[in-house]
Amino acid sequence: MKRRVFLKGSFAAGTIAVAAAAGLLTPRRVLAASWPETAFDAKNETDAVKALFGDMPVVDSDAISIKAPLQAENGAVVPIKAWTSLSNAEAIAIVVEKNPAPWATSVEVMPGAGGLYSTRIKMGQTSPVTCYVKAGGKIHKAAHVVKVTVGGCGG
Amino acid sequence: MKKFLTAVLMAGAFVIGAPAANAISEAEIKKDIEEFQSFFLKRFPGVTLAEYSDGVNALPQYAERRANWELLMEFPPYETEMDKAAEEWVKPFANGKTFDDCDLAAGNVYPVYDAATDDLRTLVGDINACLKANGEKPIKNVKVGKMARLIAHYRAQFNGQPMAVDYSQAGAQKWYEKGRQFYWAKRGQLNFSCANCHVQNAGNKIRGDVLSPGLGHTSGFPVYRTKWAVAGKPWGTIHRRYGGCNKQVRAKPFKAQGTEYKALELYEAVMNTGVPLKVPSQRQ
Amino acid sequence: MAATKMKIKKDKSGGHVVMVLVKHPMETGNRKDKKTGKKVPAHYVKTMVFTHNGAAVAQASLGPAVSKNPLTQILLTNSNSGDTVSVQWTDNQGETGGTEATIK
Repeated sequence: MKRRVFLKGSFAAGTIAVAAAAGLLTPRRVLAASWPETAFDAKNETDAVKALFGDMPVVDSDAISIKAPLQAENGAVVPIKAWTSLSNAEAIAIVVEKNPAPWATSVEVMPGAGGLYSTRIKMGQTSPVTCYVKAGGKIHKAAHVVKVTVGGCGG
Repeated sequence: MKKFLTAVLMAGAFVIGAPAANAISEAEIKKDIEEFQSFFLKRFPGVTLAEYSDGVNALPQYAERRANWELLMEFPPYETEMDKAAEEWVKPFANGKTFDDCDLAAGNVYPVYDAATDDLRTLVGDINACLKANGEKPIKNVKVGKMARLIAHYRAQFNGQPMAVDYSQAGAQKWYEKGRQFYWAKRGQLNFSCANCHVQNAGNKIRGDVLSPGLGHTSGFPVYRTKWAVAGKPWGTIHRRYGGCNKQVRAKPFKAQGTEYKALELYEAVMNTGVPLKVPSQRQ
Repeated sequence: MAATKMKIKKDKSGGHVVMVLVKHPMETGNRKDKKTGKKVPAHYVKTMVFTHNGAAVAQASLGPAVSKNPLTQILLTNSNSGDTVSVQWTDNQGETGGTEATIK
């Protein structure tokens, strides 16, 4: 297992050097975005959304499409594909209401990347999966209920 | 012949003459294939023979399952394993040879009857035979992991080719009969035969899952299953699946690469004559 | 051990969809090892940075609720044949990985 070299701030080894060479250290805005620790720690959807987006207004939107199964084959691997026609999307977050830790994953996009995010998530039980899109000073959202059943044949 | 099939399904009994009989002609086998396949083509109108390779995902009433499967197939979860298998396939043995030097039959013709030994050659068996012949240790667990992805890699090269098992020899016909009787015989505490689920109840639900049609079995193995992936052993050869199914009806599973499952594999492969290979399969 | 694989497909919108599969256990930290009875420590990809011709265009944050062997897709809107796309990821235990590809 590799050691936490990159946290030591040294340019001698691996990650930082590679990141610098790949131009990852600019623009500053992307790396300034830290991992959403508070959102991850939130035990309910409302708190997760607050941690992600503060007090920004949240509105329902039909400009967000979610492609996901109505019934998950397996709660451990639920494919979710979310995209939006909103032209100025800055961030997309996927939140699973009934998961013990509702925030699953997010993406921040810069000019050059569009409003599309696809992932595979774990779901503990049937739940709405909500996609939040930060665009134009507002948080837009749409949800899709995914049924999760346990069991079935297949030794 | 449909009435006969129905009668058999109702009785759930052994088929055609004395149970110990082991003589079946090539002509009768051809008839079996026709009956078996037309049963499914009638049961699921609109699904072509080729589409049966996709199993449950081919059935129109399970468009939901198909949608889930298609999302996963955008980037099949088994891809990194297939890349690994491609590397393993060309890595030289101690003697400098590779799997490319093995004496293997085409991926769509297994199991192959070998008159000299009066035995069936499976791809799994041939891979281990090749390892032994080249001074390497045979693979111990023949149902999962390295063996499964190696045969997935080899078989995938024949994707699109129709299943074409040779049953012209008397010896092969004896093995076929053994397999056929296994398929239609009831077993286990639940007293089900393979046919009860995969013919009579093909496409029906069972405890939250769907019974796949017997037509289409074998053309997609090995399988990469989400359920198995979560438990750490994603790959399964068809003999792994046979064992699991037998356990599911509370029957003692037979040994992988033993005579029962080889015979069963032959029967199923013959019933799937003409179905194109589509290896590996991504399933739940 | 961890492998990172990238596929790029042209999108109807004119840009390209970038798909990245990372071979990673994505352990939540709650699962008990069947043999030892102890909990398997949390081990999951946290950050994935996507760059296009050297410029960062997207940063994904993943948590343990993302499936094992995560597949992540983003969309490039201003992409052309010959462009380089790369991804670099880091996980909660300090491990890193990445790969790059050229748009065909």
